[in-house]
Amino acid sequence: MRTNTQGFDTTSRTDRLMARFGHRVATALAELQTRQPRHDIDERLRFAREQALERARESRRLSAEPAMALGAGGAATLVAGSGEDGGTPWWLRLSSLLPLAVLLAGLVLIDHHYTRSQIEAAAEVDAALLADDLPPEAYSDPGFVEYLKSARP
Amino acid sequence: MATDKELSDFLKSVEKRAFKRTAYTVRNDDAALDIVQDSMIRLSEKYADRPPAELPLVFQRILSNATMDWFRRQKVRNAVLVNLSEFEGADDDGGDFDLLELLDLSDTRSATESAADSVSRIQMLELIDGEVARLPGRQREAFLLRYWEELDVAETAAVMGCSEGSVKTHCSRAVHALAKALRAKGVSP
Repeated sequence: MRTNTQGFDTTSRTDRLMARFGHRVATALAELQTRQPRHDIDERLRFAREQALERARESRRLSAEPAMALGAGGAATLVAGSGEDGGTPWWLRLSSLLPLAVLLAGLVLIDHHYTRSQIEAAAEVDAALLADDLPPEAYSDPGFVEYLKSARP
Repeated sequence: MATDKELSDFLKSVEKRAFKRTAYTVRNDDAALDIVQDSMIRLSEKYADRPPAELPLVFQRILSNATMDWFRRQKVRNAVLVNLSEFEGADDDGGDFDLLELLDLSDTRSATESAADSVSRIQMLELIDGEVARLPGRQREAFLLRYWEELDVAETAAVMGCSEGSVKTHCSRAVHALAKALRAKGVSP
């Protein structure tokens, strides 16, 4: 049976040998790639790399744009807050609130239209009920009889 | 943040190994190229702002995920099962097999093998390549990440989504299997 020290040594040696063997195999694989270049694959990989780099550039540009816009917006707010004109007409800055105003007005109109349509629908039902003849089944309804009794002076 | 040149150099340094590793797994060059391209684009779009030192690990993770995505996208269920079954791995240690003896033997043989002519050298390299391709998927993945991509055990575990112990086991089994198969063919890397 091995002692702990011997066991550790053996494990360590095994790890070293495994690593050496693994790197030899990896070197062999790399050598095979070098000795047997596949130009079609290399060309497609080069194209893929260029595409990826193009995307990276675009991604960086897109992420930089909002930051710049935000910076400009922040500057405008600061200028407005300090009471300075900064060259931007007041009506132009006010016009940025226009879409919000239109949205609010639209919401109010929709709400008004919805409420009105509900009222009209209820009125139609009431009118139809009042104008219609009393169905014969109503006379046999105990509730209706009770109503007639209680309605009598 | 990695500059364009750093990113380009990094991609250039890993693309061939990435392709080979993926081709081992999916066994289809076109699919492997698509997966590598997809991984490069994902890296460039999402992680180009990372420091260059972080790129290797992130890229290997993306590549592994992209490969698994490719398998998931395959509509033929049997094909998926056949390929994924490789990832389960089998215990191919061989019981009474003495690794130390075998690896020592491999080391001593290498000196004589290195004198072989170009044709036989290529044949030998192809044999090694074939044996690596025959490894079970998880073993091959661990082996290549550790010794070809030169990630450490913790990084390999992170890429493979498993424990460090599993990585060591996969690597050990892969080395045993490769050494045994190559010895049987009289090959030493």
